[in-house]
Amino acid sequence: MSIEFSLCLLTVFVLAAFGSPIAISMLVGAIVYLISSGQDIALAGEQILQGLYNSFILLAVPLFIVAANIMNAGSISDRLLTFCKAIVGHLRGGMGHVNVVSSLIFSGMSGSAVADAAGVGKVVIGMMTKDGRYRPGYAAALTAASATIGPIIPPSIPMVIYALVSGASVGYLFIAGLVPGLIMGAVLMAMNYIQSTRHQVVKEEAVPLKELPGITWRAFPTLLMPAILLYGIYGGVTTPTEAAAVAAAYALFLALAVYRSISFKKLVKVFTESAHTSASVGLVISAALIFNYIVATENIPTQIAALLSAMDLTQFQFLMVVNVTFLLLGMVLDATTVILIVVPLLIPACRELGVDLVHFGIITVVNLMIGLITPPYGILLFVINGTTNIAINDIIRNVLPFMVVLIGALIILTALPDLVLYMPRLFGYQG
Amino acid sequence: MTNILRNIKTTADLVAASMLAAMSIVFIYQIIGRYFGNAIESLMGIDLATSWTLEILLTLWVWLVFWASAFCLSERDHIRFDTLHLALPRKVQRIVAALSALAIAGFLAYSFLPTLDYITFYKIKKSAILRIRLDYVFSIYGIFLAALVARYAWRAVAFSVPSLHNKFYQKVD
Amino acid sequence: ADITLRLSTSATAEDTRAEAMEKVFAPMVSSFADFDGHWGSSLFKQGTDLEAIARGNLDMTITSAQHMAEFFPEFSIFSAGYVHRDYEHQKAVFNADFMDDLKAKAEEELNVKLLAVSYLGNRHVNLRTEERINTPADLKGIRLRMPGSEAWFFLGSALGADVTPMAYGEVYTGLQTGAIDGQDNPLPNDYVMKFYEVTKQIALTGHLADLNYIAISNKVWNSLDAHQQAILQGAANAAAEYASHQIIQKEADLVDFFKGEGLDIYTPDLDAFRTTVQKAYLESEMAESWVPGMIDQINAL
Ligand code: NA
Ligand code: NA
Repeated sequence: MSIEFSLCLLTVFVLAAFGSPIAISMLVGAIVYLISSGQDIALAGEQILQGLYNSFILLAVPLFIVAANIMNAGSISDRLLTFCKAIVGHLRGGMGHVNVVSSLIFSGMSGSAVADAAGVGKVVIGMMTKDGRYRPGYAAALTAASATIGPIIPPSIPMVIYALVSGASVGYLFIAGLVPGLIMGAVLMAMNYIQSTRHQVVKEEAVPLKELPGITWRAFPTLLMPAILLYGIYGGVTTPTEAAAVAAAYALFLALAVYRSISFKKLVKVFTESAHTSASVGLVISAALIFNYIVATENIPTQIAALLSAMDLTQFQFLMVVNVTFLLLGMVLDATTVILIVVPLLIPACRELGVDLVHFGIITVVNLMIGLITPPYGILLFVINGTTNIAINDIIRNVLPFMVVLIGALIILTALPDLVLYMPRLFGYQG
Repeated sequence: MTNILRNIKTTADLVAASMLAAMSIVFIYQIIGRYFGNAIESLMGIDLATSWTLEILLTLWVWLVFWASAFCLSERDHIRFDTLHLALPRKVQRIVAALSALAIAGFLAYSFLPTLDYITFYKIKKSAILRIRLDYVFSIYGIFLAALVARYAWRAVAFSVPSLHNKFYQKVD
Repeated sequence: ADITLRLSTSATAEDTRAEAMEKVFAPMVSSFADFDGHWGSSLFKQGTDLEAIARGNLDMTITSAQHMAEFFPEFSIFSAGYVHRDYEHQKAVFNADFMDDLKAKAEEELNVKLLAVSYLGNRHVNLRTEERINTPADLKGIRLRMPGSEAWFFLGSALGADVTPMAYGEVYTGLQTGAIDGQDNPLPNDYVMKFYEVTKQIALTGHLADLNYIAISNKVWNSLDAHQQAILQGAANAAAEYASHQIIQKEADLVDFFKGEGLDIYTPDLDAFRTTVQKAYLESEMAESWVPGMIDQINAL
């Protein structure tokens, strides 16, 4: 690592550790790097501006934030809470299970984990922490962990990017994500069950059976939303990114016309708060984009790749080395960066060792999604912290058990290519 | 003085909220225009062109992020780690905050002129569809930098002088 | 080596263009330059490489006529439909005398020196609908995705389609779900992006023989001695030849592959398309930015 890059990292860590905003710490770190390496200082602004101006998929983030805030303000999430409580709330760890299951459903509507966490994640945290049912740190951690499923179950933006650099089929990659996504959901629910046993969280009162139809009816327009979004995407009305806007519009329609639970003044407040959250999340993402440039300039991925090919490995050993490498890279880098820069360097090695590229793609994306919840640079941790004000350290402490079971699921998926390739083969995949 | 500041903040918030509302509307227009555009054109003769929507959305997104970051977000609205900072003694907190603010203001100020040069470079290029000059689109980043330099320079001063700090920051930080 | 040549472009590391630069260009210039290629827009975002060269932050790029036209509208002639016929024609145009002024302008005003032209493939209309497209009239009401810039939109509309923007990465899903009816790309792109999995036909409209330019910073070029310049020019030419012939070969092979995948592949009424599209261009504002008489000079080659 060059002296310039070390200086840059030192600046970021010192500033951020003493409470400066992370985005601004990264921006200052990048300026330190550019000054010390004698490059054009304007490159910091160039990367931050062009990163935002050219990343269409990021547009889903503010819209999902709007949708979530409207649902919160318009008592829509309250109705959902009542319904969920009635269905599984009386089980041990019930609301935690609701969190995971709702993530699984929402995964089918969004291709981005960040959008999941910023949108439905925020609503579910509100539901879990209301009246002190769950500790905020625990609710935030479970939400971060379950948001990683978002891009595993189709549709998935990271898988499209992977397909682009690997030449693997987008169609088969999408189908291949289904089983792994469900496995991830299952291990999270198991861990939630264990933790709930240990911590004695508040159990919900069982709802009398005769009240169930009424509760369901009142929640019905809300429950219709996933169906509308799914029809929108799979019926060809919207792109996955545009689904965010449909979610916002439908939530607004419910709040204004159906439930009549929101005033104009409150609506202005919702949009103002959403604008604040979108800006703080957007600023962190764009500041991280400067690091894509620095890491690429320093040729760091190339050095790591050279190290990897120097070892003489079997297929499974190779994949495990890749897993460890990706987990480490995921701690400090954005998933898109790793897919675009590191994955192409590994494809030749995969071909040589006979690693199936669809299998490799699933492992890569699952791994990098786990990277979204690993400190110090875990974008889902930041997003949830940004949308809820729950302390980062509190989220990190609580997310560790979920991270462990997700890594367990990753190892299973790595060891059993047949499990990952079962669905694609049903659809005619010859691999 | 505080009244003027509050009015400025309210106006800035309103602008940010309007930009986000506009993004939502443009997105919905884009979906309707593409999916129902043919039907609407044959029924009502209105052509819902969607070629410009992506560009407007991206421009609004850039403006929203930097506008709100410059004028709407307070220090605590930002995403940050504050555990270590809060564990320090009160007096040390103030010194560290003053030094951090000084470093941030200094480096951002140092980058200001080169960045301005980058933004004005774009007077020669226009956006792909709407032909808006890109130096206008990107100008918000220059405004954002200037606002940040002013904010952190003020913070550095206020955190160095106990009376100023007590007056302006006690309740906030 | 004396210098490092840092290149950034949107082409991915798996792309023929990357292969050509790494395997052909880099070894040929290794006596005086280290080639440092960055693919998939990993250094500078797509469409900002030229600015990076202009500002002295980048040494080389592989760029398009569309991007050049964003600075010099005269270049839009090379992104117009039915202007170039094939790779040989592209080379003839690139090396023609009438290109000298345009090249000089790019060197002076943008610090960008165009070294060589490289063939990217012939763009064809690829649809998820079943009914054949024989004339521009048959494309009416078809939601055709085009890349998001004015030049592409014009081309799509000139073909007779309802043009709609969509990010490249979303096109596969868009085709799968019917959010769009079709897209246009060269056959190798349809293969890499697996569009054949979610579409039913390819009308070989050949509406645009697409090209790229291998470009270098004029400042870097001028810092080289005449001998080095000759080597570098030769290396760029060789890389362009290599990449272009790879694509020509793939285009030939892929027709059979796509037929094997069950796609209907046919040649529509090309005269109808050519006449309609050329007429639209000549009547457009875009043609006003073209160098007077150049279209005739190009056609005469
Ligand atoms: Na998904
Ligand atoms: Na969740």
